[in-house]
Amino acid sequence: MSDVFQHSLDRISRVRGVQGSMFVAAEDGLAVAQLLMAGVSGKVLAAFAASLARKASGAAAATGAGKVRFVQMQAAGGVLLVALGGELLVAVVADAGVNVGLARLEMIRAVDAAAAL
Amino acid sequence: MTTTVVETWTEVPLVKFIAQSSARLVVVMTPAGQVLAQHGFTKAVDLMSAAALGAAIMASSGALAQQVGEPGFAALYHAGQRHGIHLAGCETPRGRLIVLTVFGRETSIGLVQVFFDEFVSALKQAAPADQPRQPILAADFEHELNSSLASLFRR
Amino acid sequence: MSLVNFTTREITCKIVYYGPGRSGKTTNLQYIYGQVPEDRKGRMVSLATQTDRTLFFDFLPIDLGSISGFTTKIQLYTVPGQVYYNATRKLVLQGSDGVVFVADSQVRQLDENIESLQNLQANVLEHGIDVRTLPMVLQYNKQDLPPELILSVAELDEALNFRELRSFPADALHGAGVFETLKAVSADVLRKLSEGSQGGRRG
Repeated sequence: MSDVFQHSLDRISRVRGVQGSMFVAAEDGLAVAQLLMAGVSGKVLAAFAASLARKASGAAAATGAGKVRFVQMQAAGGVLLVALGGELLVAVVADAGVNVGLARLEMIRAVDAAAAL
Repeated sequence: MTTTVVETWTEVPLVKFIAQSSARLVVVMTPAGQVLAQHGFTKAVDLMSAAALGAAIMASSGALAQQVGEPGFAALYHAGQRHGIHLAGCETPRGRLIVLTVFGRETSIGLVQVFFDEFVSALKQAAPADQPRQPILAADFEHELNSSLASLFRR
Repeated sequence: MSLVNFTTREITCKIVYYGPGRSGKTTNLQYIYGQVPEDRKGRMVSLATQTDRTLFFDFLPIDLGSISGFTTKIQLYTVPGQVYYNATRKLVLQGSDGVVFVADSQVRQLDENIESLQNLQANVLEHGIDVRTLPMVLQYNKQDLPPELILSVAELDEALNFRELRSFPADALHGAGVFETLKAVSADVLRKLSEGSQGGRRG
Protein backbone atom coordinates (compact mmCIF):
# COMPACT_ATOMS: atom_id res chain seq x y z
CA MET A 1 0.00 0.00 0.00
CA SER A 2 2.80 2.40 0.80
CA ASP A 3 4.18 1.95 -2.73
CA VAL A 4 0.96 3.38 -4.15
CA PHE A 5 1.22 6.38 -1.87
CA GLN A 6 4.87 6.92 -2.66
CA HIS A 7 4.33 6.62 -6.40
CA SER A 8 1.50 9.15 -6.27
CA LEU A 9 3.51 11.61 -4.22
CA ASP A 10 6.47 11.25 -6.58
CA ARG A 11 4.28 12.18 -9.56
CA ILE A 12 2.84 15.19 -7.74
CA SER A 13 6.27 16.37 -6.64
CA ARG A 14 7.47 16.42 -10.27
CA VAL A 15 5.08 19.29 -10.99
CA ARG A 16 7.26 22.37 -10.94
CA GLY A 17 6.66 24.60 -7.94
CA VAL A 18 5.40 21.90 -5.59
CA GLN A 19 7.18 22.17 -2.25
CA GLY A 20 5.44 19.37 -0.45
CA SER A 21 2.73 16.81 -0.90
CA MET A 22 1.08 14.38 1.46
CA PHE A 23 -1.74 11.96 2.09
CA VAL A 24 -3.76 12.98 5.13
CA ALA A 25 -6.33 11.11 7.20
CA ALA A 26 -9.31 13.41 6.71
CA GLU A 27 -10.92 12.71 10.08
CA ASP A 28 -7.84 13.10 12.24
CA GLY A 29 -5.72 15.59 10.31
CA LEU A 30 -2.74 13.29 10.64
CA ALA A 31 -0.19 12.55 7.93
CA VAL A 32 -0.33 9.10 6.35
CA ALA A 33 2.49 9.53 3.82
CA GLN A 34 4.45 12.58 2.82
CA LEU A 35 7.13 13.97 0.53
CA LEU A 36 8.23 17.38 1.72
CA MET A 37 11.01 19.83 1.04
CA ALA A 38 13.01 21.13 3.96
CA GLY A 39 11.15 23.82 5.86
CA VAL A 40 7.67 22.44 5.25
CA SER A 41 6.05 21.17 8.41
CA GLY A 42 4.14 17.99 7.66
CA LYS A 43 2.30 18.05 10.95
CA VAL A 44 0.99 21.57 10.38
CA LEU A 45 0.14 20.98 6.71
CA ALA A 46 -1.80 17.80 7.53
CA ALA A 47 -3.79 19.40 10.32
CA PHE A 48 -4.75 22.53 8.39
CA ALA A 49 -5.42 20.75 5.12
CA ALA A 50 -7.93 18.49 6.88
CA SER A 51 -9.47 21.46 8.63
CA LEU A 52 -9.77 23.37 5.36
CA ALA A 53 -11.34 20.37 3.65
CA ARG A 54 -13.87 20.00 6.44
CA LYS A 55 -14.83 23.67 6.36
CA ALA A 56 -15.10 23.64 2.58
CA SER A 57 -17.29 20.55 2.69
CA GLY A 58 -19.46 22.19 5.30
CA ALA A 59 -19.83 25.31 3.21
CA ALA A 60 -20.64 23.31 0.08
CA ALA A 61 -23.21 21.24 1.91
CA ALA A 62 -24.84 24.32 3.40
CA THR A 63 -25.08 26.05 0.04
CA GLY A 64 -26.25 22.96 -1.84
CA ALA A 65 -23.13 22.87 -3.96
CA GLY A 66 -22.66 19.15 -3.42
CA LYS A 67 -19.57 17.15 -2.67
CA VAL A 68 -16.25 18.99 -2.67
CA ARG A 69 -13.53 17.52 -4.87
CA PHE A 70 -10.82 20.14 -4.80
CA VAL A 71 -9.90 23.22 -2.77
CA GLN A 72 -7.47 25.87 -3.91
CA MET A 73 -6.33 28.50 -1.42
CA GLN A 74 -4.31 31.30 -3.01
CA ALA A 75 -2.11 33.30 -0.63
CA ALA A 76 0.47 36.04 -1.13
CA GLY A 77 3.42 33.66 -0.88
CA GLY A 78 2.06 30.48 -2.37
CA VAL A 79 -0.87 28.13 -2.72
CA LEU A 80 -2.40 25.36 -0.64
CA LEU A 81 -4.22 22.70 -2.65
CA VAL A 82 -6.38 19.94 -1.23
CA ALA A 83 -7.99 17.08 -3.16
CA LEU A 84 -10.72 15.29 -1.27
CA GLY A 85 -11.48 11.60 -1.46
CA GLY A 86 -13.09 9.43 1.15
CA GLU A 87 -11.06 8.77 4.25
CA LEU A 88 -7.90 10.21 2.72
CA LEU A 89 -7.18 13.53 1.13
CA VAL A 90 -4.12 14.80 -0.69
CA ALA A 91 -2.58 18.13 0.31
CA VAL A 92 -0.01 20.12 -1.60
CA VAL A 93 1.83 23.32 -0.73
CA ALA A 94 3.40 25.09 -3.70
CA ASP A 95 4.84 28.31 -5.06
CA ALA A 96 2.47 30.95 -6.31
CA GLY A 97 3.43 30.18 -9.91
CA VAL A 98 2.67 26.46 -9.84
CA ASN A 99 0.67 24.93 -12.67
CA VAL A 100 -2.49 24.35 -10.66
CA GLY A 101 -4.19 22.39 -13.42
CA LEU A 102 -1.39 19.88 -13.66
CA ALA A 103 -1.09 19.58 -9.89
CA ARG A 104 -4.86 19.12 -9.59
CA LEU A 105 -4.79 16.34 -12.19
CA GLU A 106 -2.12 14.41 -10.34
CA MET A 107 -3.76 15.02 -6.97
CA ILE A 108 -7.14 13.72 -8.06
CA ARG A 109 -5.44 10.75 -9.67
CA ALA A 110 -3.68 10.10 -6.35
CA VAL A 111 -6.89 10.33 -4.32
CA ASP A 112 -8.65 7.94 -6.69
CA ALA A 113 -5.75 5.48 -6.56
CA ALA A 114 -5.83 5.52 -2.76
CA ALA A 115 -9.61 5.01 -2.73
CA ALA A 116 -9.22 1.95 -4.93
CA LEU A 117 -7.01 0.17 -2.38
CA MET B 1 -17.50 28.05 29.10
CA THR B 2 -15.27 29.04 32.01
CA THR B 3 -11.53 29.17 32.27
CA THR B 4 -10.07 29.24 35.77
CA VAL B 5 -6.47 29.09 36.86
CA VAL B 6 -4.83 28.25 40.17
CA GLU B 7 -1.46 29.50 38.93
CA THR B 8 -1.90 32.75 37.03
CA TRP B 9 1.03 32.31 34.67
CA THR B 10 -0.85 29.52 32.90
CA GLU B 11 -3.78 31.73 31.94
CA VAL B 12 -2.59 33.52 28.81
CA PRO B 13 -1.11 30.40 27.15
CA LEU B 14 -4.22 28.40 28.07
CA VAL B 15 -6.70 30.93 26.69
CA LYS B 16 -4.78 31.03 23.41
CA PHE B 17 -4.59 27.24 23.18
CA ILE B 18 -8.34 26.93 23.70
CA ALA B 19 -9.10 29.52 21.04
CA GLN B 20 -6.78 27.94 18.50
CA SER B 21 -7.56 24.29 19.07
CA SER B 22 -11.31 24.65 19.76
CA ALA B 23 -10.86 22.29 22.68
CA ARG B 24 -13.97 21.73 24.79
CA LEU B 25 -12.23 20.76 28.04
CA VAL B 26 -8.67 21.33 29.15
CA VAL B 27 -6.95 20.50 32.44
CA VAL B 28 -3.38 21.47 33.28
CA MET B 29 -2.16 19.44 36.23
CA THR B 30 0.80 18.06 38.10
CA PRO B 31 1.76 14.40 37.58
CA ALA B 32 -0.02 13.70 40.88
CA GLY B 33 -3.28 14.98 39.44
CA GLN B 34 -3.46 18.34 41.19
CA VAL B 35 -5.08 20.98 39.01
CA LEU B 36 -3.25 24.16 38.02
CA ALA B 37 -5.72 25.44 35.44
CA GLN B 38 -8.86 24.30 33.68
CA HIS B 39 -11.31 25.21 30.96
CA GLY B 40 -14.82 24.07 30.31
CA PHE B 41 -15.64 22.06 33.41
CA THR B 42 -19.04 22.64 34.95
CA LYS B 43 -20.84 20.86 37.77
CA ALA B 44 -21.81 18.09 35.41
CA VAL B 45 -18.24 16.96 34.94
CA ASP B 46 -16.03 16.34 37.92
CA LEU B 47 -12.81 18.25 37.41
CA MET B 48 -10.75 16.57 40.07
CA SER B 49 -11.82 13.11 39.00
CA ALA B 50 -10.83 13.84 35.41
CA ALA B 51 -7.47 15.11 36.63
CA ALA B 52 -6.90 12.05 38.80
CA LEU B 53 -7.80 9.72 35.97
CA GLY B 54 -5.66 11.60 33.46
CA ALA B 55 -2.69 11.55 35.82
CA ALA B 56 -3.23 7.84 36.44
CA ILE B 57 -3.32 7.07 32.72
CA MET B 58 -0.07 8.99 32.18
CA ALA B 59 1.58 7.29 35.14
CA SER B 60 0.59 3.81 34.06
CA SER B 61 1.56 4.48 30.42
CA GLY B 62 4.92 5.74 31.62
CA ALA B 63 5.45 2.61 33.66
CA LEU B 64 4.49 0.45 30.68
CA ALA B 65 6.86 2.42 28.47
CA GLN B 66 9.72 1.74 30.86
CA GLN B 67 8.92 -1.96 30.76
CA VAL B 68 9.42 -2.01 26.98
CA GLY B 69 12.55 0.11 27.16
CA GLU B 70 11.05 3.45 26.12
CA PRO B 71 11.88 6.61 28.08
CA GLY B 72 8.19 7.50 27.96
CA PHE B 73 5.38 8.24 25.56
CA ALA B 74 5.17 11.82 24.35
CA ALA B 75 1.40 11.84 24.02
CA LEU B 76 -1.65 9.61 24.16
CA TYR B 77 -4.70 9.91 21.97
CA HIS B 78 -8.01 8.28 22.67
CA ALA B 79 -10.55 8.36 19.85
CA GLY B 80 -14.19 8.28 20.85
CA GLN B 81 -17.39 8.50 18.86
CA ARG B 82 -18.13 12.12 19.65
CA HIS B 83 -14.99 13.22 21.47
CA GLY B 84 -11.28 12.66 21.35
CA ILE B 85 -8.89 12.90 24.28
CA HIS B 86 -5.29 14.07 23.98
CA LEU B 87 -3.07 13.52 26.99
CA ALA B 88 0.52 14.70 27.04
CA GLY B 89 3.26 15.75 29.43
CA CYS B 90 5.62 18.69 29.20
CA GLU B 91 8.60 19.99 31.12
CA THR B 92 8.49 23.56 32.39
CA PRO B 93 10.70 25.55 34.77
CA ARG B 94 8.03 24.80 37.39
CA GLY B 95 8.37 21.07 36.87
CA ARG B 96 6.62 18.42 34.82
CA LEU B 97 3.01 19.13 33.90
CA ILE B 98 0.30 17.07 32.25
CA VAL B 99 -2.32 18.49 29.92
CA LEU B 100 -5.61 16.73 29.27
CA THR B 101 -7.53 18.02 26.26
CA VAL B 102 -11.00 16.87 25.27
CA PHE B 103 -12.18 17.95 21.83
CA GLY B 104 -15.12 17.37 19.55
CA ARG B 105 -15.68 16.85 15.87
CA GLU B 106 -15.33 20.56 15.12
CA THR B 107 -11.56 20.12 15.31
CA SER B 108 -9.16 17.20 14.94
CA ILE B 109 -6.30 15.51 16.72
CA GLY B 110 -3.97 16.92 14.09
CA LEU B 111 -4.91 20.49 14.96
CA VAL B 112 -4.85 19.82 18.69
CA GLN B 113 -1.33 18.42 18.38
CA VAL B 114 -0.11 21.40 16.35
CA PHE B 115 -1.45 23.92 18.83
CA PHE B 116 -0.39 21.85 21.81
CA ASP B 117 3.22 22.25 20.72
CA GLU B 118 2.74 26.02 20.69
CA PHE B 119 0.99 25.86 24.06
CA VAL B 120 3.94 24.04 25.61
CA SER B 121 6.38 26.64 24.26
CA ALA B 122 4.23 29.40 25.70
CA LEU B 123 4.01 27.67 29.09
CA LYS B 124 7.78 27.30 29.21
CA GLN B 125 8.22 30.99 28.52
CA ALA B 126 5.59 32.09 31.01
CA ALA B 127 6.58 29.87 33.93
CA PRO B 128 8.17 31.83 36.77
CA ALA B 129 11.13 30.72 38.83
CA ASP B 130 10.34 29.07 42.15
CA GLN B 131 9.29 31.47 44.94
CA PRO B 132 10.99 31.57 48.35
CA ARG B 133 9.01 29.72 50.98
CA GLN B 134 6.53 31.61 53.09
CA PRO B 135 4.70 30.54 56.24
CA ILE B 136 1.34 29.13 55.33
CA LEU B 137 -0.91 28.05 58.12
CA ALA B 138 -1.54 29.72 61.43
CA ALA B 139 -0.30 27.98 64.56
CA ASP B 140 -3.84 27.07 65.58
CA PHE B 141 -4.98 25.71 62.21
CA GLU B 142 -5.98 22.47 63.89
CA HIS B 143 -8.96 24.15 65.48
CA GLU B 144 -10.31 25.14 62.08
CA LEU B 145 -9.45 21.73 60.62
CA ASN B 146 -11.32 19.99 63.41
CA SER B 147 -14.34 22.27 62.99
CA SER B 148 -14.37 21.68 59.28
CA LEU B 149 -14.15 17.91 59.57
CA ALA B 150 -16.74 17.91 62.32
CA SER B 151 -19.16 19.78 60.10
CA LEU B 152 -18.42 17.42 57.20
CA PHE B 153 -19.17 14.43 59.37
CA ARG B 154 -22.11 16.22 60.99
CA ARG B 155 -20.76 15.97 64.50
CA MET C 1 3.35 16.76 47.05
CA SER C 2 1.12 19.52 48.39
CA LEU C 3 0.09 22.25 46.03
CA VAL C 4 -0.03 25.70 47.66
CA ASN C 5 -1.13 28.82 45.84
CA PHE C 6 -0.60 32.10 47.66
CA THR C 7 -2.41 34.13 45.05
CA THR C 8 -5.66 32.23 45.19
CA ARG C 9 -4.93 30.95 48.72
CA GLU C 10 -5.58 27.32 47.96
CA ILE C 11 -3.99 24.16 49.29
CA THR C 12 -4.40 20.71 47.83
CA CYS C 13 -3.02 17.62 49.54
CA LYS C 14 -2.99 13.95 48.63
CA ILE C 15 -3.62 11.24 51.23
CA VAL C 16 -3.34 7.57 50.38
CA TYR C 17 -5.05 4.71 52.20
CA TYR C 18 -2.69 1.75 52.09
CA GLY C 19 -2.85 -1.79 53.40
CA PRO C 20 -3.33 -5.46 52.52
CA GLY C 21 -6.20 -6.72 50.41
CA ARG C 22 -9.67 -6.45 51.93
CA SER C 23 -8.46 -4.56 55.01
CA GLY C 24 -11.08 -1.86 54.54
CA LYS C 25 -9.37 0.90 52.56
CA THR C 26 -12.21 1.32 50.07
CA THR C 27 -14.72 0.98 52.88
CA ASN C 28 -13.14 3.98 54.60
CA LEU C 29 -13.62 6.11 51.51
CA GLN C 30 -17.13 4.84 50.93
CA TYR C 31 -18.08 5.78 54.49
CA ILE C 32 -16.53 9.24 54.12
CA TYR C 33 -18.31 9.70 50.80
CA GLY C 34 -21.60 8.76 52.41
CA GLN C 35 -21.15 11.26 55.23
CA VAL C 36 -19.85 14.35 53.46
CA PRO C 37 -22.44 16.80 52.05
CA GLU C 38 -22.78 17.05 48.27
CA ASP C 39 -21.24 20.49 48.03
CA ARG C 40 -18.08 19.46 49.87
CA LYS C 41 -17.10 16.41 47.86
CA GLY C 42 -16.42 15.46 44.28
CA ARG C 43 -17.50 12.34 42.52
CA MET C 44 -15.97 9.18 43.95
CA VAL C 45 -14.05 7.28 41.31
CA SER C 46 -13.55 3.56 41.83
CA LEU C 47 -11.52 1.59 39.35
CA ALA C 48 -12.38 -1.91 40.39
CA THR C 49 -12.67 -5.44 39.10
CA GLN C 50 -15.97 -7.17 38.49
CA THR C 51 -15.78 -8.61 41.99
CA ASP C 52 -15.31 -5.14 43.49
CA ARG C 53 -11.65 -5.57 44.30
CA THR C 54 -9.74 -2.34 43.73
CA LEU C 55 -7.93 -2.63 40.43
CA PHE C 56 -6.13 0.66 40.22
CA PHE C 57 -7.43 3.09 42.83
CA ASP C 58 -10.41 4.73 44.45
CA PHE C 59 -10.40 8.48 44.47
CA LEU C 60 -12.43 10.99 46.45
CA PRO C 61 -11.82 14.76 46.60
CA ILE C 62 -13.00 16.56 49.73
CA ASP C 63 -13.32 20.28 50.33
CA LEU C 64 -12.28 21.08 53.88
CA GLY C 65 -13.24 24.70 53.50
CA SER C 66 -11.14 27.55 54.80
CA ILE C 67 -8.25 26.77 57.12
CA SER C 68 -6.08 29.71 58.14
CA GLY C 69 -7.50 31.59 55.21
CA PHE C 70 -6.57 28.90 52.72
CA THR C 71 -9.20 26.94 50.81
CA THR C 72 -8.08 23.45 51.61
CA LYS C 73 -8.86 20.40 49.53
CA ILE C 74 -7.73 16.87 50.21
CA GLN C 75 -7.62 14.13 47.64
CA LEU C 76 -8.16 10.72 49.16
CA TYR C 77 -6.87 7.67 47.30
CA THR C 78 -6.80 3.98 48.04
CA VAL C 79 -4.43 1.48 46.50
CA PRO C 80 -5.19 -2.11 45.43
CA GLY C 81 -4.19 -4.35 48.29
CA GLN C 82 -3.54 -7.58 46.45
CA VAL C 83 0.14 -8.41 46.15
CA TYR C 84 -0.18 -8.77 42.38
CA TYR C 85 -0.82 -5.05 41.87
CA ASN C 86 2.41 -3.63 43.27
CA ALA C 87 3.24 -1.70 40.10
CA THR C 88 0.00 0.24 40.29
CA ARG C 89 0.37 0.74 44.04
CA LYS C 90 3.67 2.48 43.39
CA LEU C 91 2.03 4.80 40.87
CA VAL C 92 -0.79 5.81 43.20
CA LEU C 93 1.68 6.50 46.00
CA GLN C 94 3.52 9.04 43.89
CA GLY C 95 3.15 12.57 45.19
CA SER C 96 1.32 11.58 48.35
CA ASP C 97 1.52 13.90 51.36
CA GLY C 98 0.25 11.46 53.96
CA VAL C 99 -0.63 7.80 54.40
CA VAL C 100 -3.26 5.95 56.38
CA PHE C 101 -2.18 2.36 56.85
CA VAL C 102 -5.35 0.30 57.22
CA ALA C 103 -4.50 -2.93 58.97
CA ASP C 104 -6.85 -5.88 59.15
CA SER C 105 -7.20 -6.73 62.86
CA GLN C 106 -7.90 -10.42 62.19
CA VAL C 107 -5.29 -12.76 63.65
CA ARG C 108 -4.97 -14.66 60.40
CA GLN C 109 -4.12 -11.45 58.51
CA LEU C 110 -1.10 -10.46 60.62
CA ASP C 111 1.45 -11.67 58.08
CA GLU C 112 -0.36 -9.79 55.32
CA ASN C 113 -0.32 -6.63 57.41
CA ILE C 114 3.42 -6.90 58.00
CA GLU C 115 4.12 -7.66 54.37
CA SER C 116 2.02 -4.71 53.25
CA LEU C 117 3.78 -2.37 55.67
CA GLN C 118 7.15 -3.48 54.34
CA ASN C 119 5.85 -3.03 50.82
CA LEU C 120 4.79 0.53 51.67
CA GLN C 121 8.24 1.36 52.98
CA ALA C 122 9.91 -0.11 49.90
CA ASN C 123 7.64 1.79 47.51
CA VAL C 124 8.06 5.08 49.38
CA LEU C 125 11.81 4.61 49.25
CA GLU C 126 11.64 4.08 45.50
CA HIS C 127 10.06 7.51 45.21
CA GLY C 128 13.06 8.93 47.03
CA ILE C 129 11.18 9.73 50.23
CA ASP C 130 12.32 8.94 53.75
CA VAL C 131 9.35 7.07 55.20
CA ARG C 132 10.13 8.54 58.62
CA THR C 133 9.29 12.01 57.33
CA LEU C 134 6.01 10.99 55.69
CA PRO C 135 2.95 11.81 57.82
CA MET C 136 1.31 8.51 58.63
CA VAL C 137 -1.27 7.04 60.97
CA LEU C 138 -2.37 3.48 61.56
CA GLN C 139 -5.93 2.27 61.54
CA TYR C 140 -6.75 -1.09 63.04
CA ASN C 141 -9.91 -1.97 61.22
CA LYS C 142 -12.47 -4.70 61.96
CA GLN C 143 -12.21 -4.22 65.72
CA ASP C 144 -15.92 -5.03 65.78
CA LEU C 145 -15.27 -8.71 65.06
CA PRO C 146 -15.43 -11.30 67.87
CA PRO C 147 -12.43 -10.93 70.20
CA GLU C 148 -11.21 -14.47 69.56
CA LEU C 149 -10.72 -13.65 65.88
CA ILE C 150 -8.80 -10.41 66.22
CA LEU C 151 -5.69 -8.96 67.82
CA SER C 152 -6.17 -6.19 70.34
CA VAL C 153 -4.99 -2.65 69.71
CA ALA C 154 -2.05 -3.23 72.04
CA GLU C 155 -1.08 -6.41 70.22
CA LEU C 156 -1.31 -4.71 66.86
CA ASP C 157 0.72 -1.76 68.11
CA GLU C 158 3.41 -4.16 69.18
CA ALA C 159 3.43 -6.02 65.91
CA LEU C 160 3.14 -3.08 63.50
CA ASN C 161 3.71 0.25 65.20
CA PHE C 162 7.45 0.34 65.70
CA ARG C 163 7.51 4.01 64.70
CA GLU C 164 5.04 4.81 67.52
CA LEU C 165 2.64 6.55 65.23
CA ARG C 166 -0.86 7.45 66.25
CA SER C 167 -3.14 4.46 65.87
CA PHE C 168 -6.91 4.22 65.81
CA PRO C 169 -9.22 1.26 66.30
CA ALA C 170 -11.96 1.21 63.70
CA ASP C 171 -14.99 -0.46 62.26
CA ALA C 172 -14.97 1.22 58.84
CA LEU C 173 -18.15 -0.46 57.67
CA HIS C 174 -20.12 1.34 60.34
CA GLY C 175 -17.86 4.38 60.48
CA ALA C 176 -16.23 3.95 63.86
CA GLY C 177 -12.74 5.41 63.82
CA VAL C 178 -12.96 6.69 60.25
CA PHE C 179 -13.41 10.32 61.18
CA GLU C 180 -10.71 10.18 63.85
CA THR C 181 -8.24 8.63 61.43
CA LEU C 182 -8.88 11.21 58.75
CA LYS C 183 -8.63 14.05 61.26
CA ALA C 184 -5.28 12.81 62.52
CA VAL C 185 -3.65 12.30 59.16
CA SER C 186 -5.00 15.61 57.79
CA ALA C 187 -3.59 17.45 60.79
CA ASP C 188 -0.21 15.76 60.36
CA VAL C 189 -0.11 16.63 56.67
CA LEU C 190 -1.04 20.25 57.21
CA ARG C 191 1.35 20.57 60.12
CA LYS C 192 4.20 19.31 58.00
CA LEU C 193 3.22 21.72 55.26
CA SER C 194 3.13 24.56 57.72
CA GLU C 195 6.57 23.69 59.01
CA GLY C 196 7.89 24.07 55.47
CA SER C 197 9.30 20.62 55.10
CA GLN C 198 10.45 19.32 51.71
CA GLY C 199 7.83 18.67 49.10
CA GLY C 200 5.66 21.76 49.18
CA ARG C 201 5.36 23.68 45.93
CA ARG C 202 4.67 27.35 46.03
CA GLY C 203 2.63 29.43 43.61
